[in-house]
Amino acid sequence: MSGMASPSRSHTLWFGVAVLAAIALPWALSNEFYLKIIFTAGVYYLAAAGLNVLVGWSGQKSLGHAGLFAVGAYTAALLTANAGWNPWLALIAAAVVSAAFGVVIALPSLRVKGPSLAMVTIGFGIVVEKVVTEWAVFGGQAGIYGVMPLTVGGKSLAMREWAWLVLAFALATHLLLHTLLAGKFGRALQAVQAAEVAAESVGVNVYRMKVLAFVISAVTCGIAGALVAQQNQYINSDFISFNLSIFLLLIVLFGGPSVLGPALGAIVLTLMDAFLARWPGLQHFTYGALLLFALYAMPQGLAGALRKLGQKLWPAKLQPLPPAEGEWRPAATASPAADAPLLRATNIYKAYGGVVPTNDVSLSLRNGHVHALIGPNGAGKTTLLNILSGIVAPDRGQIEFAGADITRSGASEVCRRGMGRTFQNLKLFPHMSVLDNVLVGLHPHLRVGFWPSLVGWFSARNEERRAHEQAARLLNFVGLTERAHDAAGSLPYGLQRRLELTRALATQPRLLLLDEPAAGLNPQETEALTQLIRRIADTGITVLLIEHHMDLVMAVSDHVVVLDHGVKIAEGTPAEVQGNPLVVAAYLGVDEGDDSDDDTAHACAMQAAAC
Amino acid sequence: MTNILQALMSGLALGGIYALVALGFSITHTTTRTLNFGQGEFLVGGAFVGVAALLLLSGKGPVGVLTAADVSLWRYSGAIVASIAVLGALGALMYFIAVRPFFGMSGMAWVMSTIGFGIILQNTALAVWGAGSVAMPSPLGEGVIRIAGAGIRPQEILVLCTTAVVMLALDHILRRTRIGKAVRAVAANPAAAALMGINVGAIVVLAFVTSSGLAGLAGLLIAPITTASVFMGLAIALKAFSSAIVGGLTNPRGCIAGGFLLGVIEALVGLWRAELREITIFVLIIAVLVIKPEGLFGQKPFEKV
Repeated sequence: MSGMASPSRSHTLWFGVAVLAAIALPWALSNEFYLKIIFTAGVYYLAAAGLNVLVGWSGQKSLGHAGLFAVGAYTAALLTANAGWNPWLALIAAAVVSAAFGVVIALPSLRVKGPSLAMVTIGFGIVVEKVVTEWAVFGGQAGIYGVMPLTVGGKSLAMREWAWLVLAFALATHLLLHTLLAGKFGRALQAVQAAEVAAESVGVNVYRMKVLAFVISAVTCGIAGALVAQQNQYINSDFISFNLSIFLLLIVLFGGPSVLGPALGAIVLTLMDAFLARWPGLQHFTYGALLLFALYAMPQGLAGALRKLGQKLWPAKLQPLPPAEGEWRPAATASPAADAPLLRATNIYKAYGGVVPTNDVSLSLRNGHVHALIGPNGAGKTTLLNILSGIVAPDRGQIEFAGADITRSGASEVCRRGMGRTFQNLKLFPHMSVLDNVLVGLHPHLRVGFWPSLVGWFSARNEERRAHEQAARLLNFVGLTERAHDAAGSLPYGLQRRLELTRALATQPRLLLLDEPAAGLNPQETEALTQLIRRIADTGITVLLIEHHMDLVMAVSDHVVVLDHGVKIAEGTPAEVQGNPLVVAAYLGVDEGDDSDDDTAHACAMQAAAC
Repeated sequence: MTNILQALMSGLALGGIYALVALGFSITHTTTRTLNFGQGEFLVGGAFVGVAALLLLSGKGPVGVLTAADVSLWRYSGAIVASIAVLGALGALMYFIAVRPFFGMSGMAWVMSTIGFGIILQNTALAVWGAGSVAMPSPLGEGVIRIAGAGIRPQEILVLCTTAVVMLALDHILRRTRIGKAVRAVAANPAAAALMGINVGAIVVLAFVTSSGLAGLAGLLIAPITTASVFMGLAIALKAFSSAIVGGLTNPRGCIAGGFLLGVIEALVGLWRAELREITIFVLIIAVLVIKPEGLFGQKPFEKV
């Protein structure tokens, strides 16, 4: 959740210290018991590091990771003890099989959220526990003996070498995750945690991100399980319990949602565990109390508390933005000729029970124009916008956008096809920085894949640099450069609205949908917004905006559509719509003995609408 | 055939237990959008408070071995009252220290804190009564009643009758009384309920007291069937939650139906292949979540974009 990765030089320094400690510590210790503690801490770190991606970054909960630990352990055990595989191959197989199970437990996360998902993961853990206890293949309580340990040059490892090996794995895992999470995947995962709908609307495939987080956590957890089985040369169902799932989650929560958190959590809790092992009753009491009270004292965990302290002692210097060279321009796409229809919606119909917010609405948006969608409250404007942007599926009708049928496309796909949007009630990623919000908007255009991002390959680094430059240009264009490092949620309301618009622009839309962009703005801010929308339109981006501020509508739009009770009642130029008696009636109601002057009526109508 | 009848009966009894606990989940979920992840431990608490009450009523110390003579029907009734009262009070305590401080905090901190509370409760029981299981004779005796050749244990009938009475009473209270109306109003919209003069805080505490009291009752009811053990809670609570998911967490009647459905499925699958029970239920849950995530009788949540 650390929006800004800590400056990389200090990370390199600390990492160097950690490497030295990892080499020196097992070397200095000769006591098997202490070496085993190091091994255990390393294994717990491995399992918790992946779980932290799931919990701290994507915001999903799992209380069943003991199940994944078991999958890794039993895969390695069965493959070496029964099938005679090479132990190293078995370790890799354990990671692969665990990943597959990670996909399986990710499946429900598409459908359920929050406590139900947590319960489903508990269920997964319990089922695995039952299966390994009761099914004969897994040896039941007796377990599987003769698990082959890892060997180097034909020699099995001694305890000290096990400690070194696990620490090497742990350091490598830290480095990989640190690299991965500093880039586009880390941002996209945080976006999913903050606001799923908003993440979809900027082209992040929420479900894929959740699956990714589950798989990462499954792989590290499975490797941890396999290492335990191979080091003990034995596994049985006693290793796999609900308490293990809780303990792993406790490490993550106690450590805190940062890349460093699981390491701190694993070290502190393993030491405490070893210390309290003499009093088993007290041990579990302590876990319970930690679960209950650690969250009061340190909502951001140990790492969060330390970071706060560190920032007080040595205020961090933020990395400056790359220089914004040149004016921001929308990406050049092979757009149809100006005035050609960009989006055509035909007979869109959507009903919620007896309420029909969208009743056979047809709409055509022309390339390079600013369209406005107006109508009294409850006319169905936002529903129409949600249908066009793929958040709500229509019951009937067809939507064609830039030559493709997008009627059944989801929000992230619609975004990738070039439609950006903002929301009536702001949906920013409030704990991420302004810069990161804009970078998430660039997500659909970052082409580099998972593996280069994981190892920090040149292609990933170059793309990241270009993304930062692009974001800097965009922030300059909208005038938010000064606030780039502030948390989005800390901006004043007017700037938050502007940031959301900026994030939508970052997706490089050909069509920009704005849902009441001026809601809650004061007259000065509305004026500035009017200017900004004009400048956006001047770059050739087509705009469709919902707005109640008629000054703004009349100032920027060249085509107005009027909805009332889900039906399109008028459209045309602003002047034509202003004079339309149906529109006047929709806003003001019909006077039975209507003899008032048309001009006053529509003036009143527009006045009323402006309020 | 007699096997099936027998399994059906014990499935229904087990289902009644699940339904009671599921009902408890539903009550706190609808009123506060939170639920007690330590509910299994509350069930354990109910069983052992019952053991202690029975022993005390027989004039013995709170820890010891129960004989059939200790468990008369009136003592068992007294134990039920004691279990519900003690667990209800614990529910209120848990609400104040483990749920209320975390309202509105992101990341479901209350999930962890309620688990933490449950672990403390479990280890207290462990320290007092030890890890072994305590056999509790049924107040109706251990004889087997023969119906159409199938052997049915009197405790199963007792469980079924008690759960039926409790559910009918709760259903009546929720639908027909002033306080039930207040609970439903809080469930629908706490802010609006508060504006109508309903004491939302009191209703929420009541919800947690009821939920924990139900868990306590369930623990004491099942103890004569499975024996009381400090470790029996998690599996039962998990299946009760599964029942709530299947039936619909937002619908109390759905939770009851889900509980009985799961109990019967579990018993029938157990008759065929005992090792497939857990898997069957888990697969069923996944299927329900995929096809109808709001549960068979639940209401679809409406999410405003």
